[in-house]
Amino acid sequence: MRSIELKNITKSFGGELILHNFSVTIPSGIFFALLGPSGCGKTTILRIIAGLEKQDSGSIFLGKKNITQVPSNERTVNTVFQNYALFPHMNVFDNIAYPLRVKKVDTNTIEQKVLDTLKMVHLEQHIYKPIQFLSGGQQQRVALARAIISEPDVLLLDEPLAALDLGLREKMLIELKELQCKLGTTFVYVTHDQSEALTVAHQMAIMNNNGQIEQIGEPKEIYEFPRSRFVAKFVGTTNILSGKKIGSTIEIEKEGAFSLSISEERKEDGKELSISLRPEKIYITKDKLEGFSNVFVGTVISVVYQGRSTQYVVKLGKSGITVNVFEQNEEHFPKEVIEVGNLVNLYWQKENVVILKNEKI
Amino acid sequence: MGKIKRYASFLFLPLFVVFTYVFMYVPIVVLVVYSFNKSSLPYMWTSFSVDWYRTLFYSSAILDAFKNSMLVAFGAVVLSLLMSVLLVVGLVELRIERLLTMFYGTLIFPEIVLGVSLLSIFVFFSVPLGIVTLIVGHTLFGLAYSVPIIYSRYKEINKYFIEASMDLGATPTQTFFRITLPMLKPALFVSGLLVFIISLDDFLIAFFCSSVSSQTLSLYIFSMLRSGVSPVVNALSTIMLLVTSVVVLVLSSINNRIRIF
Amino acid sequence: MKKSDLKSAIKKERFFFAMVPAVVWQGLFLFLPLLFLVVISFIKGWSYTGVHGGFTLENYTSLLDFSHLRVLFRSFFLALINTTVCLLVAFPVSYFISVKSRRWKNCLLFFLVVPFFTNFLVLVYSWFFILERNGVINKFLSLFGLGVSGPLLYNMPAVLLVMVYCYLPFMAMPIYSSLEKIDKSLLEASSDLGANFRQTFFKVVLPMAFSGIRTGVFLVFVPSFGEFVIPTLIGKGEPFLVGSLVSYYFTQSLSPSFGAAFTSISCVFLVIVAFLWFVLLKLIFTKNLRGSDNGKN
Repeated sequence: MRSIELKNITKSFGGELILHNFSVTIPSGIFFALLGPSGCGKTTILRIIAGLEKQDSGSIFLGKKNITQVPSNERTVNTVFQNYALFPHMNVFDNIAYPLRVKKVDTNTIEQKVLDTLKMVHLEQHIYKPIQFLSGGQQQRVALARAIISEPDVLLLDEPLAALDLGLREKMLIELKELQCKLGTTFVYVTHDQSEALTVAHQMAIMNNNGQIEQIGEPKEIYEFPRSRFVAKFVGTTNILSGKKIGSTIEIEKEGAFSLSISEERKEDGKELSISLRPEKIYITKDKLEGFSNVFVGTVISVVYQGRSTQYVVKLGKSGITVNVFEQNEEHFPKEVIEVGNLVNLYWQKENVVILKNEKI
Repeated sequence: MGKIKRYASFLFLPLFVVFTYVFMYVPIVVLVVYSFNKSSLPYMWTSFSVDWYRTLFYSSAILDAFKNSMLVAFGAVVLSLLMSVLLVVGLVELRIERLLTMFYGTLIFPEIVLGVSLLSIFVFFSVPLGIVTLIVGHTLFGLAYSVPIIYSRYKEINKYFIEASMDLGATPTQTFFRITLPMLKPALFVSGLLVFIISLDDFLIAFFCSSVSSQTLSLYIFSMLRSGVSPVVNALSTIMLLVTSVVVLVLSSINNRIRIF
Repeated sequence: MKKSDLKSAIKKERFFFAMVPAVVWQGLFLFLPLLFLVVISFIKGWSYTGVHGGFTLENYTSLLDFSHLRVLFRSFFLALINTTVCLLVAFPVSYFISVKSRRWKNCLLFFLVVPFFTNFLVLVYSWFFILERNGVINKFLSLFGLGVSGPLLYNMPAVLLVMVYCYLPFMAMPIYSSLEKIDKSLLEASSDLGANFRQTFFKVVLPMAFSGIRTGVFLVFVPSFGEFVIPTLIGKGEPFLVGSLVSYYFTQSLSPSFGAAFTSISCVFLVIVAFLWFVLLKLIFTKNLRGSDNGKN
């Protein structure tokens, strides 16, 4: 069993409370992403799992085994550090062989395993080069190889792609996902980049600035149904509107009411609500259309062409609230060209509105 | 007139520097040149000869002194490095780095004070003066130089390397020998060289803490100086200068790659 | 939890035992001897064979006479002149190497460092060789009929000359080191903003070199104060300096009590003097910084 369970972990640094009664269960054998803003404590959690940091209180379980008191070198948990931490006085081979050498594995087995692992991370050449001569991407692969060669139960990755440029990053993300599927090792991937997390994770947890998990679930579920304002804004961009609940509609001040699809009896009438509406769920047009549950009218105040899509900022007619709209550039020569200053209609379906829970207005 | 003044001030500094270097090296050059002088009378240059060097190698007094100096130097180096590494690791891990300041006290006192104080307790505790007491004294100075160098290098070792080693399954002992020690190598080398040369250069400690049987090269030259000029000393001095130059060359080439000073 | 408590206790012991040798060494061979020295300075007539008397201040009182004070001041002035000359010579040289020279920097540095690491007896001997009665200078002068019948040695100027010769690198290295830390583009910026050389020098270079000068002065003054080898060899050889007197008490007259007392007195004297010297230096330098506030000092 390669699952990780943290129970009521509390940790302070120099008087500052980072984690308080933090608990999470990471299922065995999946690619788990821990997403959150810088300084939220996600790296601390990783280091506590690795045993590099001692928690003030709480316990850690690897599968059924309580590893709370087990020192880091005895845990079957390996880390890929953000700055790789490759031993500078060793070459590629020695770096990768290190975990096996300290366990006194025999030389022949080591050699075979190193070569196999190099193949897995696509780094067959440069075996005996000193690590200073490798590029960033190559060093990253060495760090990865070094961490997986001893076949750990859990692999911790601390923003491993932060130092790479965009093209390489995207490539490595896919390779990481393939590797995880192949090995079956539980990957715990820490990042502040939500697109990375969405790409690779089977399951992800969003942490806020107070060291608490806001939401945990599959990427699609988190993106499409964020539970709180924080999650909605952190993962992707969104429009957040606030108003009063009246029956099955929400009334936005000065603007008017639009309908919600409410599947459960939530707050009473008159209560304040916040909703999240993703920009890509809104259809923007100068024409009049049928078949949409909701519409607002406004004036375009900004148009930004972004290649795949165009981003519009529309100022609603009555209230002056600004709304972001994404439109996919499906056609080379679109029928309708929307420019700044145009009067447009914004259509969307009520099913695409998410009511944000735990809202304090 | 102003132009001349400007040229003068422009030339002043370089000329001054040249003059200083001439002042520094004329005696040395003369010393070296006359070590190859056949005649033993210092004011007359007769012909080129390496006789004095030959005498050097046959002189038992000098060979003894050389042996003693080497023994003391190596002893001081080994002890200094060993204790420095253990000290630095111990203090840093126990988080009492403040204790390091007690090792810088050695250099605050004039060397003569340390020399006589060591002499006093050696005599009081009836410790026989000789190679051992010399090694003790030189190690004291050796620590003062090697501790800061090794400490600063140890602090530079990014803790991530230690953590990575532990994370990957190595015990603290394995981490020390496979990671920490190799990464300390340049500091150990430089400290060792430094302590070695300081030991060879020392005179005051040897003056107070050695006996007749444990003459060092410094003491030998001192005794020869008492009795006047001798070309054998020239030859010995030339060799010592050579050794010094080689050490400085090595130290400065390391310094260019990894900044120690 | 007992097993893990024991384990962590052993682990802590490991580091404790690691640092013990060096700490014990330092305590045993630095602090103990110094303490011992202070103690025997208060004991009457302690000789190497054993204790003969009890606690007394006699050692101190008998040493606080005019001749001893004269020795202290003589050493002080020797050290003072030596330090000053070294400073005046070393600073321009270090300045040149650090700031002005580019092509020959490494070369000049090498030739500056070699004497620093050379056995100073070799350095003393090299001047001895030249200044001696049968030495080069005298022979050279005799060519013009200016030969001196006695040696050129055995006088204060010669002692001073050799002392400067030996201590020059000790002053030059720290100054060079601190000048190196100055960002050269700062100097360019200063001249770019219209300051002439004099202003740049006093407002930018000197303040930053101050720490190097302070170190250099310390490295030269303190040892020169206790210097006795050079005066013994090049000078007359009678114990007229602090170092020679201390050496005499310990090795020749075998009265270590007096030696210890005198050493203590000299150390106290040195501390007072050194303190005054640094205060003076600081006053001189801060006086030159009219207008510019340099928080570093």
